[in-house]
Amino acid sequence: MTRLLAWIAFLFGALYFALPLIGMTEFSLKMRRGVYSLDAYVKVFADPRFQETFSFSVMMALATIAFGVLLVVPTAYWVRLKMPGARPWIEFVTLLPLVIPAIVIVFGYIRLYNTSSFLPLTGSTTGTNILLMFGYATLALPYMYRSVDTGLRTIDVATLTEAAQSLGAGWVTILSRVILPNVLIAVLSGAFLTFAIVIGEFTMAALLDRPAFGPYMQLLGANRAYEPAALAVIAFGITWACMALIQLLARFAPKPAKPVKE
Amino acid sequence: MSAVNNSKANSDAFLAINGVTKSFGAVQVVRGADIAISKGEFVSFLGPSGCGKTTILRMVAGFETPTTGRIVIDGKDITDLKPNQRKIGMVFQSYALFPNLTVAGNIGFGLKVAGKARAEIDQRVEEMLKLIGLPELSDRFPWQLSGGQQQRVALARALAPRPAVLLLDEPLSALDAKIRVSLREEIRAIQKELGITTIFVTHDQEEALSMSDRVMVMYQGRIEQIGAPFEVYNHPKTKFVANFVGTLSTMEGTIADAAKGSVDAAGTRFDGVRLPAGATNGAAVTLALRPEALRRDRRDGDLSLSGEIIDVDFLGSVIRIDIKAGGEKLSLDAFNDPTTPPPAIGETMTVHFAPDAVLTL
Repeated sequence: MTRLLAWIAFLFGALYFALPLIGMTEFSLKMRRGVYSLDAYVKVFADPRFQETFSFSVMMALATIAFGVLLVVPTAYWVRLKMPGARPWIEFVTLLPLVIPAIVIVFGYIRLYNTSSFLPLTGSTTGTNILLMFGYATLALPYMYRSVDTGLRTIDVATLTEAAQSLGAGWVTILSRVILPNVLIAVLSGAFLTFAIVIGEFTMAALLDRPAFGPYMQLLGANRAYEPAALAVIAFGITWACMALIQLLARFAPKPAKPVKE
Repeated sequence: MSAVNNSKANSDAFLAINGVTKSFGAVQVVRGADIAISKGEFVSFLGPSGCGKTTILRMVAGFETPTTGRIVIDGKDITDLKPNQRKIGMVFQSYALFPNLTVAGNIGFGLKVAGKARAEIDQRVEEMLKLIGLPELSDRFPWQLSGGQQQRVALARALAPRPAVLLLDEPLSALDAKIRVSLREEIRAIQKELGITTIFVTHDQEEALSMSDRVMVMYQGRIEQIGAPFEVYNHPKTKFVANFVGTLSTMEGTIADAAKGSVDAAGTRFDGVRLPAGATNGAAVTLALRPEALRRDRRDGDLSLSGEIIDVDFLGSVIRIDIKAGGEKLSLDAFNDPTTPPPAIGETMTVHFAPDAVLTL
């Protein structure tokens, strides 16, 4: 009986999640009257604005990932190694982007870095792009930090560091040749989550007036019928592909060196 | 001041630890350590958990900074050098092999960091793999190795860059008993072959006694005794060393005649005991005996004591018999004789020992 109830609950949950997606996918295929077709997808891919905004968001995502890795890996490593008492505080700080809305963050940025400020980042395209990247990195911080921290938990950071030091390695070598390779899968998990967040992000890109994929989706949604549904399916596809890659890569993670029983 | 002061010898030592103390907050974990170690010597730091032995090792490695005192290797003061500048090889209890690197990658790591040429690294890795007897495992990852194999690789990795000093931090603790014995013999053989100055930290007295040129016994941050295993075992300088190193049966007694070495203990008078200088009649004294000093057969001049057998432990080659005599418990080790069954609990047994075998604490 309990098992049956569990299955009913599972099916209800699955349908609740799947039905809108199935409905949306079906709708995206109904552009041509009376038959299923990929017309909506063809139109979306052929749109130069799609190519422009998607390329822009991909580039921003890559820049955000690079910046996030450079910021988070050394920080999480140092906190684990030298400041374990500060971990709860660091975790709290990394969680703040989840409770502070993106609109608050971006308004703060605009106020701090506008053209009449001490650092007028919004005064140039490059400056605004850099500001947007910082914003994305902030939004992705909870996911990136947790991924990396979880990865660090699986290795004996202190002893591996000391072993590398005793072999003559300095901090850069330790981070690049010992720590990073052993948490690479965790870093990639964080990277794919960052990618998914950046590709779909709307608020920051719209308020900083950058040609990103999120605002393009919103614009298309306001003016077309079938293309937005196709775009949403594409966006879902990208997110799921990222998740699948995380799962796939997890299989190749370096295994902890637990001794085989003799 | 430590119980043992080697500072005079420290000036010509290869590795000298001079007046080193270490405090964590208000707690002093190392109290004035003076140790002089010669080139090529194998010295074990032996003591219970928390005695400060690993802290000294970590100070030599550079992972901890001494609160006071200096550490000198080959005439060079390394106290303030960073760990990666000390040219010290270290083997850890948990192996600490890099999981992302193969055996060859692990062994060659230090050489790669030092910027050695590829051919030189390959040659040295091959040498090391031969030295540890695992030439066929160069492409394996650490998780594909047994504990003993991992520790051999960790040893090869530490030795590959030709360090001045090798530090071993309880490297055998995580291994099975049999592997432990074979690996300790291998470590000692490799150390002798390379002639590398080595410090071995352990809480296992058997390991320390069997492997070392000298053993340093520590207790509560102090060095209790430094000496050859034979000396430390047979002539312990402090009560702690006597109790910690080997098994010891003790009898509380009173000096009856200091001039004759007569002591009353366990309801018996023992004559000819070597008493410490300045012993006075009527003073309390603790007599101590090693299990192997007690015998079932009597020899000329032996002292004797009778008691009831309270326990018999069959240990294979040796049988340990515990007897209770005059309120004191004594342990006797007898070789196993396959033709004679061990005595039974409850039987009366007389044990004999030479007066010279009695230690006074």
